[in-house]
Amino acid sequence: MIKVTNFSKHYNGFAAVRDLSFTVAPGQILGLVGPNGAGKTTTLRALCGIVPPSSGHLSIADHDIVKAPIAAKQNLGYIPDDPRLFDTLTVWEHLAFTAAAYKVADFEETAEALLQSFTLSHKRDTLVHNLSRGMRQKVAIACAFLHDPKAILFDEPLTGLDPDGIRGIQQAIRERAREGAAIIISSHLLSLFETLCTHLMVLNLGECRRFGTMSDVLTEFDQSDSNSALEAAYFTITQDKDRGGV
Amino acid sequence: MDAALLRLLAMRMRGGLRLRLMQVVSLRGALLLLAMVGIVWLLVASREAVPNAELLDIARFDSEAMHAQISTFMPLGLLGMTLLTVVLTTGPSFHYSPTEINFLFVGPFSRRDLILYKFIAYAAGAGLSAALLAPFAQAQTGSVLSAFLAAFLTLLFVQLNSAAAGMAWQAFEGNRLARLKWPATAALFVFAVGAIIYAAAAPDRTIFDLLSELRHSWIGTVILIPYIVFTELFLARTQSSHLAFWGIMAVLINVALLWAVVRLDGRTSERSLRDNARLSDRWERMKQGGSFWATERIEVRSIPNAPTLAGVGPIAWRQAIKAVRNSSKVIAVFIVVAACAGPLTSVIGIPITDDRALVMLLFFFAFILPRTLICDFRGDLSRMETYKMLPIAPWRICMGQLVVQVLLAYIVALTMIVSVLLFEDRLTAPVALALALFALPLTFLIYAVENTIFLLFPTKLVPMGRADFEFLGRSVVEFIVKMGIILIAVSAAAGVGTFTFMTLRTSWILPGTASWLTMILIAGLATIAMQYAFRRFVVAESFD
Repeated sequence: MIKVTNFSKHYNGFAAVRDLSFTVAPGQILGLVGPNGAGKTTTLRALCGIVPPSSGHLSIADHDIVKAPIAAKQNLGYIPDDPRLFDTLTVWEHLAFTAAAYKVADFEETAEALLQSFTLSHKRDTLVHNLSRGMRQKVAIACAFLHDPKAILFDEPLTGLDPDGIRGIQQAIRERAREGAAIIISSHLLSLFETLCTHLMVLNLGECRRFGTMSDVLTEFDQSDSNSALEAAYFTITQDKDRGGV
Repeated sequence: MDAALLRLLAMRMRGGLRLRLMQVVSLRGALLLLAMVGIVWLLVASREAVPNAELLDIARFDSEAMHAQISTFMPLGLLGMTLLTVVLTTGPSFHYSPTEINFLFVGPFSRRDLILYKFIAYAAGAGLSAALLAPFAQAQTGSVLSAFLAAFLTLLFVQLNSAAAGMAWQAFEGNRLARLKWPATAALFVFAVGAIIYAAAAPDRTIFDLLSELRHSWIGTVILIPYIVFTELFLARTQSSHLAFWGIMAVLINVALLWAVVRLDGRTSERSLRDNARLSDRWERMKQGGSFWATERIEVRSIPNAPTLAGVGPIAWRQAIKAVRNSSKVIAVFIVVAACAGPLTSVIGIPITDDRALVMLLFFFAFILPRTLICDFRGDLSRMETYKMLPIAPWRICMGQLVVQVLLAYIVALTMIVSVLLFEDRLTAPVALALALFALPLTFLIYAVENTIFLLFPTKLVPMGRADFEFLGRSVVEFIVKMGIILIAVSAAAGVGTFTFMTLRTSWILPGTASWLTMILIAGLATIAMQYAFRRFVVAESFD
C-alpha cells in the first residue's frame, strides 16, 4: 500500500508539488500523468526517500518514509527514468549487490528467473556500461523486482525499450500487481495507461487535477474510443487549469 | 584552412570565455577565482620578496646548478616522454569529440583542414597553459615573455612530437619489423635496469651521473638534438639573439612535425577514428564519475555474492570491485611511487624529515592521492539516487563508502613507511610503528573530510577545460580547509599527548596512546559530520 497525505514540496520558494493526497492499494496500478514540470518525478522521488518532503506524510507498506525510512525502503522498488548503474559491475553483480543491500537470502534462483524473463541471461557477466539503454533499463527493473517489493514506482519505464522489451515489462508489471504490489507509473505515454492502469491521476503545476479509476475518467469524457477519451481528458484537465479554471 | 573552421574555432573560444565569465559573475565563482588568484599571487610574490623562504625552497639550490640540471635532464625527460608515447600509445594522436566527428567529418573539409583546426585549438590551449606557467618559469628564463615563449613552444612540441611519434608507429605497425616492438622495449628496460644496478654498485656514481654522461656524450647530443633546442630556448635568459635563434629553431621543428602529422594522418585515419570513439567513451565515463583507466573488457567473471555485514558489506564490496576493475593501474603506480620514496630520498640525499620532503609528502597524501584514487562518494555523484533509496542506515552507507578508500590509501602510506624505514637510518622501528598506527586515523580523517566537503558542496571532479577557474579555485579552497582541519586534529592529538605526559610523567607509550585515541575520536566525529552531510544531500532537483 502506498499512502500520500497532504504532501507538498518547495524548492527555494517554488512549489513543485502542493497538498497532494492519494492512496494506491495492493494490486492497483496508478498512472501518473501531466505535462513537464507537473511534479510527477518529485512525487516519486519523495516516495523513495530521495527528496525530503516540505510537508505532509508519505508511507510505503504502512512505514513513513521520513520516520522509518529503512523499513519503508525495504518494501520499495524504484525504477528511475534514466537508470544509473555501477559501470564496473556486471549484470549479475548488480543483482548480488541488491540482494545483499535488501538482505535477500538465496537470491540466485529468483535472480536467474528474472534474467530469463527479461532476456538478460546471455548478458549475465557483461559489464553494464557495455549495455544499450534498453538493456540497462531491464537490469534496473530486475534489481527492483529482486526483493519482491510491496510498492513499485516506475518513472518512464518504457524509454529505450524494443517492442519485445515493452511487452515483457508490461507483462511483468501486471504480474506484480496480481501478486499484490501497489504500483505507480509515471509516463507521458497515454497508451501505456490505457493498457495497464487501474487508476489515473492527472497532475499539473504541482497540483492534482483529477484522480479516480480509469473507467470513471473514460466515462466522464464519454468517448467510445478509450484512447481518445484519455487524450481528451488529459488536454481538457491540463488546459483548463492553464486558463485558470478547474 | 577552411574559413568555416576558423569561424567555428572563434565561436567556440568565445563560448568558452562566456562560460568562464558567467562563472565569475556569480558570487561563488568570484570568490573562488579570488581565492585562486590570491594564492598564485602569494606564491609568486613570496618568490620575489623572500627568495630563500619559498614553499619548496628550490632557491636554496644554486641558480647556476639548477640551470645546469635543467640543461642536462630536460632533453632526457622529453626523450623519455617520446619513447613512452611509442610504447604505450593506445589513443588517438589528435582527439576529436563525437560532436566534431558527427559535424566535421561529414562536412566539406579535407583531412588537412581538420588537422589544422585541431592544431589551432591545441595551440590556443597551449597558449593559455603557457600564460599560467610563465610566472613560475620566469626564475629560470629571465623574463615573463621568454618564459611564455619557451613554455608555449615546448608545449606545442610535446603535443606534436607525441602525435608524430604515435602516428609514425601506427603507420609502421603493419610492417613485419613491428614485431620487434616488445623485444626492443624489453632490451631497453634491461639496459636501464643494468645501468641502475651498475650505478648502485659503483660507490662514487649515481644513476644521475650516468644520465649526465649520456647527455653530454657526442652520441647523446646527436640523439637529443631536437630536445636540446627546446631546453636551450627554455634557458635562454635575456639574451635576445640567443632567444631568437633557439626560438626560430623551435618553430622550424614544430612546423616540420606538423607537416609530418598531416602526411601521416592519411595512413592512420581509420585507426584514429576507432581510437577517438574509445577515448570519447572513456571521457564520458569519467564525467559520470568513472575512471579514465577503467577496464575496457566487455565481459568479466561475475563475483556471485556480496557480503551483507550489516549493510556496510555491499557498499564496500561494490567500491572494492570498482577499485580493482577501474583503478588497479593507478593503485599499482601509487604503491610503486611509495616504495621508491626510501631509495629516492637516499639517492637525492634529502632526509625524509627535511621540510621540503615533508611538504611533498603532505601534498602527496592530502591532494594528489585523494584527487587521483577515488573509491567513495566523490566518484558516485550520478548514482546518489541509488544510495539514497537503499534500506541501509546512512552511517553504514558512509562507512561502506570509506572503508575501501581508506584501506587503499593506508596501504600506500604503509608501503612508504616501510620503504623509508629500510633506506633511512634516522627512522627507527618504534617511530615507524608509531607512524603506521597514526597513519590509519589520519587517513580516515582526510577522506571523511574530503567526502563531507563533497556532499555539502557537490561537484563533478573533472574541470571544464583548461581555464576552469572556479574548479581550480574550489580545489585550492578545499585543500586549505582540509589542511586546516587536519592541523587542528593533529594539534589536538599532540596536545592531549603532551598533557598526559606532563601529568603522569610516564614513558611515551601512555601519552602516545592518548594521542592516538584522540585522533580516532576526531576521525569518528568527522564520520558523524559526513553522515549528516549525506542525510542532507539532495539529489539533483528535477521539477518534472
